[in-house]
Amino acid sequence: MNEILLSNQVIIYLLSESTLFFLLAIAFIVSIRILLQWDFESFNPIQFTLEKQSYLVTTITLFVFAMKFFLLIYFVFTIDALALLIPGAMCGAGVITANEYGTPLLVLKLSLLALLILWFYMHAYDNRTKNHLYFKQKSWLFLVIFFFIVLELFLDFQYFLAIDTHLPVSCCSALFGQLEGANPLPFGLNISLLLILFYLLYFLVMLTLNLNYKLLYIFSNILFLYIAYYSVVYFFGTYIYQLPTHKCPFCMLQSDYFYVGYFLWASLFLGTFIGISDALSSLWVKKTNLKHQKTVSYLLSLFVLLCTVYIAVYYLNNGVLL
Amino acid sequence: MIKIENLYKTFYQEKNESNILININLHIKKGELIILKGISGSGKTTLLSLIAGLDRPSQGKILIENDPISKLPDLFASQLRAKKIGMIFQHFNLFEHLSVNENVTIPLIPSTLSMKEIYKKVDKALELANITHKKSLLASRLSGGEKQRTAIARALVANPDIILCDEPTANLDKENSLLFIQTIERLHNFGKTIVIATHDPLFEDLKLKNRIIPMVNGQIVP
Repeated sequence: MNEILLSNQVIIYLLSESTLFFLLAIAFIVSIRILLQWDFESFNPIQFTLEKQSYLVTTITLFVFAMKFFLLIYFVFTIDALALLIPGAMCGAGVITANEYGTPLLVLKLSLLALLILWFYMHAYDNRTKNHLYFKQKSWLFLVIFFFIVLELFLDFQYFLAIDTHLPVSCCSALFGQLEGANPLPFGLNISLLLILFYLLYFLVMLTLNLNYKLLYIFSNILFLYIAYYSVVYFFGTYIYQLPTHKCPFCMLQSDYFYVGYFLWASLFLGTFIGISDALSSLWVKKTNLKHQKTVSYLLSLFVLLCTVYIAVYYLNNGVLL
Repeated sequence: MIKIENLYKTFYQEKNESNILININLHIKKGELIILKGISGSGKTTLLSLIAGLDRPSQGKILIENDPISKLPDLFASQLRAKKIGMIFQHFNLFEHLSVNENVTIPLIPSTLSMKEIYKKVDKALELANITHKKSLLASRLSGGEKQRTAIARALVANPDIILCDEPTANLDKENSLLFIQTIERLHNFGKTIVIATHDPLFEDLKLKNRIIPMVNGQIVP
């Protein structure tokens, strides 16, 4: 039997994902019936039954979606822990690239996180109307999310089943560090320009957030996420590791670096996803105000502050920059 | 004020279906005093729960000043209830470990009123229910009649237009029941809409202009 499937973390992870999927499958079946017959203006027995069932579906969905947040963190923890079993892997980077399913699975999980947050916003808007005005939109979004979750579960099993513990994988240095002179940064940027863009985009996100320019806000959030990823891997990360040649998005999740990666990535992804979902949902339901300006400001500011503090501390301790 | 159309409530236990309310149609005008009269199991309490939005019907419409309370999401139903409906229960439903004053203050806690305004309203409600002299006592130390008066004060504190009473005198002796009826008469004179579910014959002798609605097996007897 595949050694990976005997690992505690993988057993817990796959069992949890499967249980949540089972619950969600019930909600999916009931949701379709509700969507086909829903007429909130009606006072007939069918509609009252559907309204009761919609409470059940919403409760299940809320629970499962909330658990998915924690399971995403646990997934990251699991792949990091599996580095001990796979030859050549020093951290999650080697484990996630151990086969062709890993990277798409991680991207899918992050995309799902964005969709789940969007669903939470639609649900919140729907709950604030007397006649469940956005119930159908919320339910359609749930059906779309469900199909992504089916794909996620399929990839989860494919990924863990296909990991070969006898086949050496590349470590993070090989994946991110040695690029034989090629520039890994986007748009042909160099590190200085990347950093300028990083801070400029942060200020643009904050500015558009406060001025309520939603489309520009969404666009700047997406761009900030993209640039921030490269900034952390190719610049800020080297200060976390205190090694100019060490470039990896995963090693910072380990205890050697006080698990700072969890705080960094969580604040970046949650900050940008909440921002995008907030703006998208308010455009969708045609509400003028963004609801969670403060949350987004705090998360993204925490992220930028964490990144900056590492450089400042290194400079204060050593009197030079890397 | 309260409009009930085509109302049904059915409970299901395993495969058994039990019809608690059958085709209830009722129109209660503002300031009216209604006595829902019937033996235990006739559906009076269920009807009151549905009017208060504490439960949902299986079919039909309940409008409170044109707001369909039977369809409102929980948040809105709670807001409507807090603003417009006061309830008095057979078993009083007081917090025994809290004082009379604290029990009466509870409905106002979610409001945005200042503490000064809250105390003012609480004092007024205690006075109306004639329980001011016991306001510092724990609810567990009160007699049945005093508990009922505390419950009345709690129902009145938010100054609701509608007061629903479920078997309010079932746990009271005759003297306290008559005192309760006097209080109800006073509230009716203030223009409150009052619905009382009871099988107490004392209510039949009320001098007030009221409407008695007999209920049998979940139906209103014409």
